[in-house]
Amino acid sequence: MHVDPAILERTGAIAGGLIVGIVAIYALYKDWATPGVENHVFKLMLLLLGIGAVLAILAGAGVLGNFPTA
Amino acid sequence: MAVASVTHAGAGEPPADRLYAETRELRLQGFLLFLISDCVLFSSFIFAYLYLRNSGQGWPPPGIKHLDVAFAAWNSVLLFGSGATMHYALENWKHGNFIKYMWMLIFTIILGAGFLGGQGYEYTHLIFGEHVSWWGSGIFGASFFTLTGMHGFHVFVGVCYLTVLLMQSAAGVYTGEKYFGITAGTLYWHFVDVIWVVLFSIFYLI
Amino acid sequence: MSTQAAQLTHGGGIADHIHPEPQGFVRRYVFSIDHKIIGIQYIITAWVFFILAGLLAETIRTQLLNANGGFVSPETYNEVYSIHGSAMVWLVVIPMLTGGFGNLIFPLQIGARDVAFPWLNMLSFWIFPVAGLMLFSSFLMGAPTAGWTEYPPVSLQGAPGTSMWAAAIFLVGVSSTLTGINFVVTLLKMRAPGMTFTRMPLFVWGQFATAPLLMIATTALAAALAALFMERVFGVPFYDPTKGGSPVLWQHMFWFYSHPAVYIMILPAFGIISEVLPTFSRKPIFGYKLIAFSSAAIALAGFMVWAHHMFTSGLAPYLQLPFMILTFAIGVPTGIKIFSWTATLWGGKIHLTTAMLFAIGFIALFTCGGITGIFLAAVPYDLDVHGTYFVVAHFHYVLVGGSLMGIFAGMYYWFPKMSGRLLNETLGKIHFWTFFVGFNGTFLPMHWLGVEGMPRWVATYDPQFEFWNRFASVSSYVMGIAILVFFVNVVWSVRNGKKAGPNPWGGRTLEWMIPSPPHYYNFKQIPTVYGLPYDFSHPLPYKGLEDELTDTPPVAAGAH
Repeated sequence: MHVDPAILERTGAIAGGLIVGIVAIYALYKDWATPGVENHVFKLMLLLLGIGAVLAILAGAGVLGNFPTA
Repeated sequence: MAVASVTHAGAGEPPADRLYAETRELRLQGFLLFLISDCVLFSSFIFAYLYLRNSGQGWPPPGIKHLDVAFAAWNSVLLFGSGATMHYALENWKHGNFIKYMWMLIFTIILGAGFLGGQGYEYTHLIFGEHVSWWGSGIFGASFFTLTGMHGFHVFVGVCYLTVLLMQSAAGVYTGEKYFGITAGTLYWHFVDVIWVVLFSIFYLI
Repeated sequence: MSTQAAQLTHGGGIADHIHPEPQGFVRRYVFSIDHKIIGIQYIITAWVFFILAGLLAETIRTQLLNANGGFVSPETYNEVYSIHGSAMVWLVVIPMLTGGFGNLIFPLQIGARDVAFPWLNMLSFWIFPVAGLMLFSSFLMGAPTAGWTEYPPVSLQGAPGTSMWAAAIFLVGVSSTLTGINFVVTLLKMRAPGMTFTRMPLFVWGQFATAPLLMIATTALAAALAALFMERVFGVPFYDPTKGGSPVLWQHMFWFYSHPAVYIMILPAFGIISEVLPTFSRKPIFGYKLIAFSSAAIALAGFMVWAHHMFTSGLAPYLQLPFMILTFAIGVPTGIKIFSWTATLWGGKIHLTTAMLFAIGFIALFTCGGITGIFLAAVPYDLDVHGTYFVVAHFHYVLVGGSLMGIFAGMYYWFPKMSGRLLNETLGKIHFWTFFVGFNGTFLPMHWLGVEGMPRWVATYDPQFEFWNRFASVSSYVMGIAILVFFVNVVWSVRNGKKAGPNPWGGRTLEWMIPSPPHYYNFKQIPTVYGLPYDFSHPLPYKGLEDELTDTPPVAAGAH
């Protein structure tokens, strides 16, 4: 059965993005109250990671992206 | 507050720990500043790319096909996933779960290497399939390969460092209190991840 | 924010940790991790490059004695001024003020034993002479010819020396960036107990304002140079308009660094002046907080004005306007300093030592340079004089009349601390006055040469400019003689100068509380600080310095 690789990639992107996004937001929520410079940096990084995951989901769904206008 | 949240380190500990705690603070600050300056390096090239792209031709320029957004989204998820596993590696270490720490570290390395493999695949396709090269495809090739190449190099260095970390951890170099190498590795790996969020957005999404 | 977090504490931490004394010539003087030795290494190396770049300057002036040149070929002349500028900026002024005086003095002034990363400090130093040799080696392969600013498309063409130039500056930039990181961490985390930010000496404030610039701005230059190198060597198009690139992109990237770079070159010098003036006026510095915070303001605002170097590059007027206004605005914190320094002198008991002469001369000459800077900030005026000798006059007044005079002041002031001997005052005064006359004779005429239309970077010129060019060239030889007197003074005084003792000037900052030269561990016990150093009518605001000038061994010597 011939599967278009793009479908696999998109599905993987959406699924993986959901997993990573949920994990990142959950970790951020759990560690919200930790003090100290390095923990603040980690929290910022987790937030940006979550944003990245959202972008990957939207790209996988075709909502965002520099696609050929076809 | 006096010392960042190193587990178990507090104010009344014997002198040797204070020396370590203060030295660790210095290293942490120094490493964060290094990451900031690395950020400036990427920002400069990102400025150059956006400036050149804005000079009016439409993007991609005529004669060059669009980049494969779907593939890049999947590849990105590998890298983002490795960021999550690295976060949990550090968490596990801090809670004393050595075995889980090692597994998370291994997954991080595998996912990071997978990302690099994906980049290699994309480069091969672009260079040999579409004949887009670093030097011969105008500002498209120049900006794409320079920025993603710099980033890929950073990922490669990170994968090497994490591998070394793995070996050192197995050999018992780090103890419950003294594990700055692991913290630094995690910070670096997250940094590389965040840079990719930006690069993915500016090359594939806009 | 607890002050405890940022300063050292007693009780077994870094403040009380003295490493064993390094043994052997190589560990003590070659690959030393001691900030004082590294500082001296930077200063000596920077003076060597100063001599080389100065010889290039005299080549320029000798070529310009005659309107039709004749001393060197035009191509060589282009190489000469390009390397003169590059060397003076990157191999002389910046290393001397940051790696040199910065390393040497500010750890002492904050009561630290060393910088945060001593090994990295050593690495930063050793990169510097290597990069300098690389830069000068470009003469052997066809040096760059497009000025120190190397605008494409000219910098994309021609002999390989430009690629070597890019690599050399990139490397010295790495050294700068590492130094910046080192200094920021040292300043944030290693001040003596009780030394809050508003009790730091002003030289330390100068370094504190400069260090983030070293870290951030230099990296931006590294990107620009890397792109230039990749384009020249691999053909990757960034700046070549025929391949979709943009020469204006280079200008943006280059000046985004190079404008903060000029603040890197002046802020430490401001700090030196702020130390020398109160000591030799026997009066507190006027407006300590004004000077301290205006340094930080200048550092920050310095990132926002780069395009005032690009008014003739086709920028739209709506872009030129904010850069013009912001550049005017930077004059304000600078002016605040000038007034504060003048007010420091007012009513003081002035001791006209050589260091003080250079400091006062600095105020006069830097102010002139600053004023012509405001002229240039005005877009209509700049459109007329951009690329003429007016610009050359401006930046030599601020860099030579400013930074170099500050460096000389620092040398006369701190040479006794480092060597244990005073520089000869008579030779010093001859140096100062000869230099002052020679400098003004060289660069003052360039103002009207520029307004009358003489362009920069030309090996020959219209005969109408010949008289003042000759005047300038002869004056530059007088400047050269003054500098020779200075070097004779240094070399002679190292062995034969009058012994200085710990505090020949009656200074009040921490470096004067310890022997000259200091022990490798700086302080037997890190002192606690209770106030500003400049309150001359009060006792010294330190506790814990009783043993520093005695023979008792340090408390934790050799202990780990």
